[in-house]
Amino acid sequence: MVIEFLRQVFADRAERSAVIWQDREFSYGHLLSRLDHWRRRLEEEVAPGTVTVLEADFSPEAIALLLALIERGTIVVPLTPAVQTRKKEFIETAAGELDFLVDAEDKVHPSRLPFRADHPLYDELRRRGHPGLVLFSSGTTGRSKAILHDVSHLLRKYTTRRHDFTTLAFLLFDHIAGIDTLLYVLSNGSCLVTVPDRSPDTVCRAVERYRVEVLPVSATFLHLLLLSGAHERYDLGSLKYIAYGSEVMPEATLKRCAELFPGVTLLQKYGTTEVGTLRSRSESSDSPWVRIGGEGFQTRVVDGILQIKAHSAMLGYLNAPSPFTRDGWFITGDRVEVRGEYMRIHGRDSDIINVGGEKVFPTEVEDLILQLDNVADVTVYGEPNLITGNIVCADVSLVRPEEEPRFIARVKRFCREHLQPYKVPVKVNIVDEHRFSQRFKKLRQKRD
Amino acid sequence: MIEEKDIIQILYRAIDDLNLQLPPEQRLEKSAETVLFGEGGRLDSLGLVTFIVAAEQKVTEVAGITLTLADEKAMSRRNSPFRTVGTLAEYIGERLAEDGNG
Repeated sequence: MVIEFLRQVFADRAERSAVIWQDREFSYGHLLSRLDHWRRRLEEEVAPGTVTVLEADFSPEAIALLLALIERGTIVVPLTPAVQTRKKEFIETAAGELDFLVDAEDKVHPSRLPFRADHPLYDELRRRGHPGLVLFSSGTTGRSKAILHDVSHLLRKYTTRRHDFTTLAFLLFDHIAGIDTLLYVLSNGSCLVTVPDRSPDTVCRAVERYRVEVLPVSATFLHLLLLSGAHERYDLGSLKYIAYGSEVMPEATLKRCAELFPGVTLLQKYGTTEVGTLRSRSESSDSPWVRIGGEGFQTRVVDGILQIKAHSAMLGYLNAPSPFTRDGWFITGDRVEVRGEYMRIHGRDSDIINVGGEKVFPTEVEDLILQLDNVADVTVYGEPNLITGNIVCADVSLVRPEEEPRFIARVKRFCREHLQPYKVPVKVNIVDEHRFSQRFKKLRQKRD
Repeated sequence: MIEEKDIIQILYRAIDDLNLQLPPEQRLEKSAETVLFGEGGRLDSLGLVTFIVAAEQKVTEVAGITLTLADEKAMSRRNSPFRTVGTLAEYIGERLAEDGNG
Protein backbone atom coordinates (compact mmCIF):
# COMPACT_ATOMS: atom_id res chain seq x y z
CA MET A 1 0.00 0.00 0.00
CA VAL A 2 2.68 2.49 1.04
CA ILE A 3 4.23 2.60 -2.42
CA GLU A 4 0.98 2.67 -4.39
CA PHE A 5 1.71 6.27 -5.47
CA LEU A 6 5.03 5.11 -6.94
CA ARG A 7 3.38 2.23 -8.81
CA GLN A 8 1.04 4.81 -10.33
CA VAL A 9 3.98 6.94 -11.51
CA PHE A 10 5.75 3.89 -12.94
CA ALA A 11 2.63 2.82 -14.88
CA ASP A 12 2.11 6.35 -16.27
CA ARG A 13 5.74 6.53 -17.33
CA ALA A 14 6.14 2.93 -18.54
CA GLU A 15 7.99 3.95 -21.73
CA ARG A 16 10.29 6.47 -20.06
CA SER A 17 13.82 5.80 -18.82
CA ALA A 18 13.96 5.16 -15.10
CA VAL A 19 17.58 4.14 -14.59
CA ILE A 20 20.79 4.32 -16.59
CA TRP A 21 23.03 1.54 -15.32
CA GLN A 22 26.32 0.46 -16.92
CA ASP A 23 25.38 2.63 -19.90
CA ARG A 24 22.12 0.74 -20.47
CA GLU A 25 18.67 2.27 -20.14
CA PHE A 26 15.93 0.62 -18.09
CA SER A 27 12.37 1.89 -18.40
CA TYR A 28 9.74 2.45 -15.73
CA GLY A 29 7.86 -0.45 -17.34
CA HIS A 30 10.88 -2.68 -16.66
CA LEU A 31 11.11 -1.46 -13.07
CA LEU A 32 7.39 -2.16 -12.59
CA SER A 33 7.65 -5.71 -13.95
CA ARG A 34 10.67 -6.43 -11.70
CA LEU A 35 8.74 -4.97 -8.76
CA ASP A 36 5.83 -7.31 -9.53
CA HIS A 37 8.23 -10.25 -9.82
CA TRP A 38 9.67 -9.53 -6.40
CA ARG A 39 6.24 -8.87 -4.89
CA ARG A 40 5.13 -12.38 -5.85
CA ARG A 41 8.32 -13.98 -4.54
CA LEU A 42 8.37 -12.08 -1.26
CA GLU A 43 4.68 -12.79 -0.59
CA GLU A 44 5.50 -16.49 -0.71
CA GLU A 45 8.84 -16.47 1.04
CA VAL A 46 9.22 -13.53 3.43
CA ALA A 47 7.01 -12.49 6.35
CA PRO A 48 6.26 -8.79 6.98
CA GLY A 49 8.43 -7.42 9.77
CA THR A 50 11.45 -9.52 8.77
CA VAL A 51 14.79 -7.67 8.96
CA THR A 52 16.24 -7.90 5.44
CA VAL A 53 19.78 -6.85 4.56
CA LEU A 54 20.14 -5.49 1.02
CA GLU A 55 23.79 -5.52 -0.07
CA ALA A 56 23.68 -3.41 -3.19
CA ASP A 57 24.43 -0.15 -4.93
CA PHE A 58 22.15 1.83 -7.25
CA SER A 59 21.03 -0.63 -9.97
CA PRO A 60 17.67 -1.55 -11.56
CA GLU A 61 17.32 -4.79 -9.60
CA ALA A 62 18.44 -3.19 -6.31
CA ILE A 63 15.85 -0.43 -6.71
CA ALA A 64 13.02 -2.86 -7.61
CA LEU A 65 13.94 -5.13 -4.71
CA LEU A 66 14.22 -2.24 -2.24
CA LEU A 67 10.71 -1.10 -3.16
CA ALA A 68 9.34 -4.66 -3.04
CA LEU A 69 10.85 -5.18 0.43
CA ILE A 70 9.20 -1.94 1.57
CA GLU A 71 5.90 -2.96 -0.02
CA ARG A 72 6.08 -6.33 1.75
CA GLY A 73 6.46 -4.50 5.07
CA THR A 74 9.95 -5.73 5.88
CA ILE A 75 12.63 -3.74 7.70
CA VAL A 76 15.34 -3.06 5.13
CA VAL A 77 19.03 -2.56 5.95
CA PRO A 78 20.82 -1.28 2.79
CA LEU A 79 24.59 -1.77 2.81
CA THR A 80 26.95 -0.66 0.01
CA PRO A 81 30.46 -1.91 -0.80
CA ALA A 82 31.76 1.32 0.81
CA VAL A 83 31.10 -0.15 4.28
CA GLN A 84 32.65 -3.54 3.48
CA THR A 85 35.11 -3.34 6.41
CA ARG A 86 32.22 -2.98 8.87
CA LYS A 87 29.60 -5.18 7.20
CA LYS A 88 29.65 -7.93 9.84
CA GLU A 89 29.28 -5.44 12.67
CA PHE A 90 26.40 -3.64 10.93
CA ILE A 91 24.47 -6.84 10.16
CA GLU A 92 24.87 -8.01 13.74
CA THR A 93 23.80 -4.64 15.17
CA ALA A 94 20.68 -4.60 12.99
CA ALA A 95 20.08 -8.32 13.71
CA GLY A 96 19.59 -9.11 10.02
CA GLU A 97 17.49 -12.21 9.40
CA LEU A 98 17.64 -12.48 5.61
CA ASP A 99 20.34 -11.30 3.24
CA PHE A 100 19.91 -10.24 -0.39
CA LEU A 101 23.20 -9.71 -2.19
CA VAL A 102 22.91 -7.94 -5.55
CA ASP A 103 26.05 -8.82 -7.54
CA ALA A 104 27.93 -6.89 -10.24
CA GLU A 105 25.74 -8.49 -12.95
CA ASP A 106 22.61 -7.31 -11.12
CA LYS A 107 21.68 -10.84 -10.05
CA VAL A 108 20.21 -11.34 -6.58
CA HIS A 109 21.50 -13.98 -4.15
CA PRO A 110 19.29 -14.51 -1.08
CA SER A 111 20.57 -16.28 2.03
CA ARG A 112 19.54 -16.74 5.67
CA LEU A 113 21.31 -14.92 8.51
CA PRO A 114 21.66 -16.27 12.06
CA PHE A 115 20.19 -13.33 14.00
CA ARG A 116 16.87 -12.90 15.78
CA ALA A 117 15.42 -9.42 15.43
CA ASP A 118 13.49 -8.87 18.66
CA HIS A 119 14.37 -5.25 19.41
CA PRO A 120 11.44 -3.38 21.06
CA LEU A 121 11.59 -0.70 18.32
CA TYR A 122 11.17 -3.42 15.68
CA ASP A 123 8.16 -4.71 17.62
CA GLU A 124 6.71 -1.20 17.65
CA LEU A 125 7.04 -1.02 13.88
CA ARG A 126 5.46 -4.47 13.48
CA ARG A 127 2.53 -3.39 15.67
CA ARG A 128 1.99 -0.44 13.34
CA GLY A 129 2.25 -2.79 10.38
CA HIS A 130 4.70 -0.40 8.71
CA PRO A 131 7.90 -1.10 6.74
CA GLY A 132 11.23 0.01 8.22
CA LEU A 133 14.63 1.25 7.13
CA VAL A 134 17.87 0.96 9.11
CA LEU A 135 20.70 3.36 8.26
CA PHE A 136 24.05 3.75 9.99
CA SER A 137 25.72 6.96 11.04
CA SER A 138 28.72 7.71 13.21
CA GLY A 139 28.00 7.95 16.92
CA THR A 140 29.63 10.18 19.51
CA THR A 141 32.13 7.53 20.56
CA GLY A 142 33.05 6.40 17.06
CA ARG A 143 30.72 3.42 17.24
CA SER A 144 28.18 3.58 14.44
CA LYS A 145 24.59 4.19 15.41
CA ALA A 146 21.82 2.13 13.83
CA ILE A 147 18.94 4.45 13.01
CA LEU A 148 15.47 2.97 12.53
CA HIS A 149 12.95 4.80 10.35
CA ASP A 150 9.25 4.16 9.79
CA VAL A 151 9.26 4.17 5.98
CA SER A 152 5.61 5.17 5.70
CA HIS A 153 6.54 8.47 7.42
CA LEU A 154 9.65 8.94 5.28
CA LEU A 155 7.64 8.41 2.10
CA ARG A 156 4.96 10.94 2.86
CA LYS A 157 6.84 13.96 1.55
CA TYR A 158 7.35 12.31 -1.85
CA THR A 159 3.63 11.85 -2.54
CA THR A 160 3.47 15.43 -3.91
CA ARG A 161 4.67 15.45 -7.52
CA ARG A 162 7.43 17.99 -8.10
CA HIS A 163 9.91 18.69 -10.91
CA ASP A 164 11.02 16.07 -13.40
CA PHE A 165 14.82 16.30 -13.68
CA THR A 166 17.37 13.77 -14.92
CA THR A 167 19.49 13.27 -11.82
CA LEU A 168 22.86 11.68 -11.14
CA ALA A 169 23.06 9.14 -8.30
CA PHE A 170 26.21 10.49 -6.66
CA LEU A 171 25.30 10.08 -2.98
CA LEU A 172 25.25 6.58 -1.54
CA PHE A 173 22.51 3.95 -1.62
CA ASP A 174 22.84 3.40 2.15
CA HIS A 175 22.90 7.10 3.16
CA ILE A 176 19.82 9.18 3.92
CA ALA A 177 20.78 11.67 1.18
CA GLY A 178 21.13 8.90 -1.42
CA ILE A 179 17.73 7.47 -0.44
CA ASP A 180 16.31 11.00 -0.71
CA THR A 181 17.72 11.38 -4.25
CA LEU A 182 16.24 8.00 -5.25
CA LEU A 183 12.75 8.65 -3.86
CA TYR A 184 12.62 12.17 -5.29
CA VAL A 185 13.56 10.91 -8.75
CA LEU A 186 11.16 7.94 -8.72
CA SER A 187 8.24 9.93 -7.37
CA ASN A 188 8.55 12.34 -10.30
CA GLY A 189 9.07 9.67 -12.93
CA SER A 190 12.52 11.07 -13.73
CA CYS A 191 15.64 9.34 -14.92
CA LEU A 192 18.34 8.31 -12.42
CA VAL A 193 21.83 8.12 -13.94
CA THR A 194 24.16 5.78 -12.02
CA VAL A 195 27.97 5.84 -12.26
CA PRO A 196 30.56 3.07 -11.71
CA ASP A 197 32.77 5.40 -9.63
CA ARG A 198 32.59 8.96 -8.38
CA SER A 199 35.70 10.49 -9.93
CA PRO A 200 35.23 13.90 -11.63
CA ASP A 201 35.81 12.51 -15.13
CA THR A 202 33.34 9.64 -14.73
CA VAL A 203 30.70 11.97 -13.32
CA CYS A 204 31.19 14.64 -16.01
CA ARG A 205 31.13 12.03 -18.79
CA ALA A 206 27.76 10.80 -17.49
CA VAL A 207 26.41 14.36 -17.25
CA GLU A 208 27.35 15.02 -20.88
CA ARG A 209 26.15 11.70 -22.26
CA TYR A 210 22.77 11.59 -20.50
CA ARG A 211 22.08 15.32 -20.32
CA VAL A 212 21.94 15.26 -16.51
CA GLU A 213 20.08 18.22 -15.02
CA VAL A 214 20.58 17.76 -11.26
CA LEU A 215 23.92 16.89 -9.69
CA PRO A 216 23.78 16.29 -5.92
CA VAL A 217 27.36 16.27 -4.58
CA SER A 218 29.64 17.20 -1.66
CA ALA A 219 31.90 20.24 -1.29
CA THR A 220 34.88 17.88 -1.60
CA PHE A 221 33.66 16.70 -4.99
CA LEU A 222 33.42 20.30 -6.23
CA HIS A 223 37.03 20.94 -5.14
CA LEU A 224 38.17 17.82 -6.94
CA LEU A 225 36.16 18.79 -10.01
CA LEU A 226 37.88 22.19 -10.19
CA LEU A 227 41.32 20.60 -9.72
CA SER A 228 40.71 17.83 -12.26
CA GLY A 229 39.62 20.24 -14.98
CA ALA A 230 37.00 17.67 -16.00
CA HIS A 231 34.41 20.43 -16.38
CA GLU A 232 36.45 21.71 -19.35
CA ARG A 233 36.69 18.32 -21.06
CA TYR A 234 32.95 17.65 -21.07
CA ASP A 235 29.85 19.58 -22.01
CA LEU A 236 27.97 20.26 -18.78
CA GLY A 237 25.45 22.56 -20.48
CA SER A 238 22.50 20.37 -19.47
CA LEU A 239 23.01 21.05 -15.74
CA LYS A 240 20.33 23.13 -14.02
CA TYR A 241 21.07 22.46 -10.34
CA ILE A 242 24.09 21.47 -8.31
CA ALA A 243 22.94 20.48 -4.83
CA TYR A 244 25.60 20.29 -2.13
CA GLY A 245 25.60 19.39 1.55
CA SER A 246 26.98 17.09 4.28
CA GLU A 247 29.97 19.34 4.99
CA VAL A 248 30.60 23.04 5.25
CA MET A 249 31.20 24.64 1.86
CA PRO A 250 33.99 27.24 1.78
CA GLU A 251 32.56 30.50 0.49
CA ALA A 252 35.38 30.93 -2.05
CA THR A 253 34.61 27.56 -3.67
CA LEU A 254 30.96 28.46 -3.87
CA LYS A 255 31.73 31.77 -5.57
CA ARG A 256 34.11 30.10 -8.01
CA CYS A 257 31.51 27.46 -8.95
CA ALA A 258 28.88 30.18 -9.40
CA GLU A 259 31.28 31.96 -11.81
CA LEU A 260 32.18 28.79 -13.70
CA PHE A 261 28.61 27.54 -14.08
CA PRO A 262 26.60 30.73 -14.60
CA GLY A 263 23.51 28.88 -15.88
CA VAL A 264 23.40 26.53 -12.90
CA THR A 265 21.60 27.18 -9.62
CA LEU A 266 23.71 26.09 -6.64
CA LEU A 267 21.50 24.79 -3.88
CA GLN A 268 22.50 23.92 -0.34
CA LYS A 269 20.84 20.83 1.16
CA TYR A 270 20.56 19.99 4.82
CA GLY A 271 19.56 16.79 6.52
CA THR A 272 20.58 14.27 9.13
CA THR A 273 20.16 10.51 9.17
CA GLU A 274 17.91 10.88 12.22
CA VAL A 275 15.35 13.29 10.74
CA GLY A 276 15.76 13.00 6.98
CA THR A 277 16.43 15.67 4.36
CA LEU A 278 14.71 19.03 4.72
CA ARG A 279 13.48 21.15 1.85
CA SER A 280 15.80 24.08 1.35
CA ARG A 281 16.37 27.24 -0.64
CA SER A 282 19.72 29.04 -0.87
CA GLU A 283 19.61 32.83 -0.75
CA SER A 284 21.49 32.84 -4.06
CA SER A 285 23.93 30.56 -5.91
CA ASP A 286 26.99 32.17 -4.35
CA SER A 287 25.54 32.60 -0.86
CA PRO A 288 26.12 30.28 2.10
CA TRP A 289 22.82 31.44 3.60
CA VAL A 290 19.96 28.98 3.31
CA ARG A 291 16.33 28.67 4.34
CA ILE A 292 15.46 25.17 5.51
CA GLY A 293 12.22 23.55 6.56
CA GLY A 294 9.29 22.46 4.45
CA GLU A 295 6.15 20.58 5.29
CA GLY A 296 6.61 18.23 8.23
CA PHE A 297 9.72 20.00 9.53
CA GLN A 298 10.10 22.65 12.24
CA THR A 299 13.40 24.24 13.16
CA ARG A 300 14.61 26.26 16.14
CA VAL A 301 17.98 27.42 17.40
CA VAL A 302 18.88 26.91 21.06
CA ASP A 303 22.22 28.27 22.33
CA GLY A 304 23.38 28.61 18.73
CA ILE A 305 22.72 24.94 17.95
CA LEU A 306 20.13 23.86 15.39
CA GLN A 307 17.25 21.66 16.57
CA ILE A 308 14.72 19.99 14.30
CA LYS A 309 11.30 18.51 14.92
CA ALA A 310 10.25 16.29 12.05
CA HIS A 311 7.28 14.22 11.16
CA SER A 312 9.67 11.87 9.37
CA ALA A 313 12.03 11.55 12.35
CA MET A 314 13.41 8.11 13.19
CA LEU A 315 11.76 5.84 15.75
CA GLY A 316 15.08 5.73 17.53
CA TYR A 317 18.55 4.19 17.67
CA LEU A 318 18.78 0.40 17.93
CA ASN A 319 22.02 0.68 19.92
CA ALA A 320 21.91 4.02 21.77
CA PRO A 321 19.53 6.00 23.99
CA SER A 322 17.01 8.37 22.43
CA PRO A 323 18.61 11.70 21.46
CA PHE A 324 15.32 13.62 21.38
CA THR A 325 14.39 16.34 23.88
CA ARG A 326 11.34 15.60 26.01
CA ASP A 327 9.16 17.59 23.59
CA GLY A 328 10.45 15.69 20.57
CA TRP A 329 13.18 17.92 19.13
CA PHE A 330 16.37 16.47 17.67
CA ILE A 331 19.56 18.31 18.67
CA THR A 332 21.68 18.30 15.51
CA GLY A 333 24.92 19.47 17.14
CA ASP A 334 25.41 21.86 14.22
CA ARG A 335 26.27 25.45 15.14
CA VAL A 336 24.27 27.93 13.06
CA GLU A 337 24.02 31.67 12.64
CA VAL A 338 20.59 33.18 11.98
CA ARG A 339 19.77 36.22 9.84
CA GLY A 340 16.05 36.75 9.34
CA GLU A 341 14.65 33.60 7.80
CA TYR A 342 18.06 32.43 6.59
CA MET A 343 20.65 30.34 8.39
CA ARG A 344 24.33 29.79 7.91
CA ILE A 345 25.52 26.35 8.98
CA HIS A 346 28.97 26.28 10.58
CA GLY A 347 29.15 22.58 11.34
CA ARG A 348 29.87 20.54 14.43
CA ASP A 349 30.90 22.20 17.62
CA SER A 350 33.02 19.32 18.86
CA ASP A 351 36.11 17.20 18.32
CA ILE A 352 34.53 15.39 15.38
CA ILE A 353 36.63 15.76 12.23
CA ASN A 354 34.62 16.13 9.01
CA VAL A 355 36.65 14.70 6.11
CA GLY A 356 34.82 15.19 2.84
CA GLY A 357 31.44 14.83 4.57
CA GLU A 358 32.46 11.70 6.49
CA LYS A 359 32.77 11.98 10.25
CA VAL A 360 35.90 10.84 12.07
CA PHE A 361 36.00 10.45 15.84
CA PRO A 362 39.49 11.12 17.23
CA THR A 363 39.04 8.52 19.99
CA GLU A 364 38.52 5.71 17.49
CA VAL A 365 41.80 6.49 15.70
CA GLU A 366 43.63 7.11 19.00
CA ASP A 367 42.47 3.77 20.42
CA LEU A 368 43.83 1.99 17.37
CA ILE A 369 47.23 3.74 17.34
CA LEU A 370 47.66 3.01 21.06
CA GLN A 371 47.64 -0.70 20.21
CA LEU A 372 50.91 -0.29 18.30
CA ASP A 373 54.22 -1.24 19.83
CA ASN A 374 56.38 1.67 21.09
CA VAL A 375 53.50 4.17 21.31
CA ALA A 376 53.37 6.01 24.65
CA ASP A 377 50.51 8.36 23.85
CA VAL A 378 48.68 9.85 20.92
CA THR A 379 46.44 12.84 20.17
CA VAL A 380 44.35 12.83 17.00
CA TYR A 381 42.92 16.09 15.68
CA GLY A 382 41.76 17.73 12.47
CA GLU A 383 43.62 20.30 10.44
CA PRO A 384 41.88 22.44 7.80
CA ASN A 385 42.43 21.37 4.22
CA LEU A 386 40.98 23.09 1.21
CA ILE A 387 40.13 19.93 -0.70
CA THR A 388 38.47 17.67 1.87
CA GLY A 389 37.58 20.33 4.46
CA ASN A 390 39.84 18.71 7.02
CA ILE A 391 42.53 16.08 7.27
CA VAL A 392 43.22 13.71 10.15
CA CYS A 393 46.51 14.33 12.00
CA ALA A 394 48.14 12.41 14.83
CA ASP A 395 50.76 13.56 17.34
CA VAL A 396 52.46 10.50 18.80
CA SER A 397 54.98 10.20 21.63
CA LEU A 398 57.24 7.17 21.74
CA VAL A 399 58.41 4.88 24.52
CA ARG A 400 61.94 4.63 23.04
CA PRO A 401 63.54 6.37 20.04
CA GLU A 402 62.64 4.99 16.61
CA GLU A 403 63.59 6.10 13.11
CA GLU A 404 60.93 8.60 12.08
CA PRO A 405 60.08 7.57 8.46
CA ARG A 406 59.90 3.90 9.46
CA PHE A 407 57.63 4.66 12.40
CA ILE A 408 55.30 6.91 10.38
CA ALA A 409 54.94 4.32 7.62
CA ARG A 410 54.19 1.68 10.29
CA VAL A 411 51.42 3.81 11.83
CA LYS A 412 49.80 4.58 8.47
CA ARG A 413 49.97 0.99 7.26
CA PHE A 414 48.38 -0.28 10.48
CA CYS A 415 45.61 2.34 10.29
CA ARG A 416 45.02 1.52 6.63
CA GLU A 417 44.49 -2.15 7.49
CA HIS A 418 41.96 -1.42 10.22
CA LEU A 419 40.16 1.80 9.31
CA GLN A 420 38.12 3.18 6.43
CA PRO A 421 40.52 5.19 4.20
CA TYR A 422 39.26 8.66 5.19
CA LYS A 423 40.08 7.93 8.87
CA VAL A 424 43.77 7.17 8.25
CA PRO A 425 45.96 10.05 9.52
CA VAL A 426 47.49 12.02 6.65
CA LYS A 427 50.03 13.64 8.99
CA VAL A 428 51.79 11.72 11.73
CA ASN A 429 54.14 13.76 13.94
CA ILE A 430 56.44 12.40 16.60
CA VAL A 431 56.30 14.67 19.65
CA ASP A 432 57.98 14.75 23.03
CA GLU A 433 55.01 15.03 25.33
CA HIS A 434 51.32 15.72 25.18
CA ARG A 435 49.53 18.86 26.15
CA PHE A 436 46.61 18.76 28.48
CA SER A 437 44.16 21.46 29.36
CA GLN A 438 43.68 22.53 32.94
CA ARG A 439 40.82 20.06 33.21
CA PHE A 440 43.10 17.32 31.90
CA LYS A 441 41.24 16.95 28.66
CA LYS A 442 43.38 16.41 25.63
CA LEU A 443 43.83 19.56 23.59
CA ARG A 444 43.06 18.42 20.08
CA GLN A 445 44.71 21.22 18.16
CA LYS A 446 47.65 21.69 15.93
CA ARG A 447 50.81 22.64 17.75
CA ASP A 448 52.55 25.89 16.98
CA MET B 1 67.67 29.35 -4.47
CA ILE B 2 66.18 25.99 -5.24
CA GLU B 3 66.10 24.93 -8.86
CA GLU B 4 63.32 23.05 -10.54
CA LYS B 5 65.36 19.86 -10.77
CA ASP B 6 65.82 20.01 -6.99
CA ILE B 7 62.08 20.40 -6.55
CA ILE B 8 61.51 17.32 -8.72
CA GLN B 9 63.87 15.45 -6.36
CA ILE B 10 61.83 16.71 -3.38
CA LEU B 11 58.67 15.39 -5.04
CA TYR B 12 60.34 12.03 -5.69
CA ARG B 13 60.96 11.79 -1.96
CA ALA B 14 57.29 12.54 -1.35
CA ILE B 15 56.47 9.75 -3.85
CA ASP B 16 58.76 7.38 -1.91
CA ASP B 17 56.84 8.21 1.27
CA LEU B 18 53.47 7.71 -0.38
CA ASN B 19 54.51 4.46 -2.09
CA LEU B 20 55.45 3.00 1.30
CA GLN B 21 51.75 3.17 2.17
CA LEU B 22 50.28 1.99 -1.14
CA PRO B 23 49.74 -1.51 -2.49
CA PRO B 24 52.19 -2.30 -5.37
CA GLU B 25 49.66 -1.78 -8.20
CA GLN B 26 48.82 1.76 -7.05
CA ARG B 27 52.39 3.02 -6.58
CA LEU B 28 53.53 6.11 -8.45
CA GLU B 29 56.40 6.16 -10.89
CA LYS B 30 59.14 8.71 -10.29
CA SER B 31 58.86 10.75 -13.46
CA ALA B 32 57.94 14.35 -14.24
CA GLU B 33 55.28 13.00 -16.59
CA THR B 34 53.47 10.92 -13.95
CA VAL B 35 49.84 12.04 -14.01
CA LEU B 36 48.67 12.71 -10.47
CA PHE B 37 45.06 13.83 -10.69
CA GLY B 38 42.45 14.34 -13.37
CA GLU B 39 41.98 12.33 -16.54
CA GLY B 40 44.17 9.23 -16.37
CA GLY B 41 45.43 10.28 -12.92
CA ARG B 42 46.81 7.73 -10.47
CA LEU B 43 45.44 9.20 -7.24
CA ASP B 44 41.98 9.27 -5.71
CA SER B 45 40.88 12.19 -3.54
CA LEU B 46 42.53 10.95 -0.34
CA GLY B 47 45.64 9.94 -2.27
CA LEU B 48 45.87 13.45 -3.71
CA VAL B 49 45.48 15.07 -0.30
CA THR B 50 48.10 12.74 1.21
CA PHE B 51 50.55 13.44 -1.60
CA ILE B 52 50.12 17.21 -1.37
CA VAL B 53 50.72 17.13 2.39
CA ALA B 54 53.81 14.94 1.91
CA ALA B 55 55.11 17.39 -0.69
CA GLU B 56 54.52 20.34 1.67
CA GLN B 57 56.41 18.56 4.44
CA LYS B 58 59.36 17.75 2.16
CA VAL B 59 59.57 21.37 1.00
CA THR B 60 59.69 22.48 4.63
CA GLU B 61 62.42 19.92 5.44
CA VAL B 62 64.61 20.91 2.50
CA ALA B 63 63.95 24.63 2.09
CA GLY B 64 62.85 25.54 5.60
CA ILE B 65 59.78 27.27 4.17
CA THR B 66 56.20 26.44 5.09
CA LEU B 67 54.00 26.31 1.99
CA THR B 68 50.31 25.53 1.72
CA LEU B 69 49.89 24.08 -1.76
CA ALA B 70 46.16 23.32 -1.78
CA ASP B 71 44.82 26.82 -1.34
CA GLU B 72 42.67 29.38 -3.11
CA LYS B 73 45.58 30.29 -5.39
CA ALA B 74 45.87 26.73 -6.64
CA MET B 75 42.11 26.30 -6.98
CA SER B 76 41.62 29.46 -9.01
CA ARG B 77 44.20 28.61 -11.70
CA ARG B 78 42.90 27.67 -15.07
CA ASN B 79 45.20 24.66 -15.27
CA SER B 80 45.44 22.61 -12.13
CA PRO B 81 48.96 22.54 -10.68
CA PHE B 82 48.23 19.00 -9.47
CA ARG B 83 48.00 17.52 -12.96
CA THR B 84 51.49 15.93 -13.11
CA VAL B 85 54.66 15.77 -11.03
CA GLY B 86 56.16 18.27 -13.52
CA THR B 87 53.35 20.85 -13.25
CA LEU B 88 53.43 20.59 -9.47
CA ALA B 89 57.22 21.17 -9.42
CA GLU B 90 56.72 24.24 -11.60
CA TYR B 91 54.01 25.53 -9.26
CA ILE B 92 56.14 24.98 -6.16
CA GLY B 93 58.97 26.86 -7.92
CA GLU B 94 56.68 29.83 -8.55
CA ARG B 95 55.42 29.84 -4.98
CA LEU B 96 58.94 29.68 -3.54
CA ALA B 97 60.00 32.57 -5.80
CA GLU B 98 57.03 34.64 -4.58
CA ASP B 99 58.04 33.94 -0.99
CA GLY B 100 61.61 34.92 -1.75
CA ASN B 101 60.48 38.26 -3.15
CA GLY B 102 57.86 38.95 -0.56
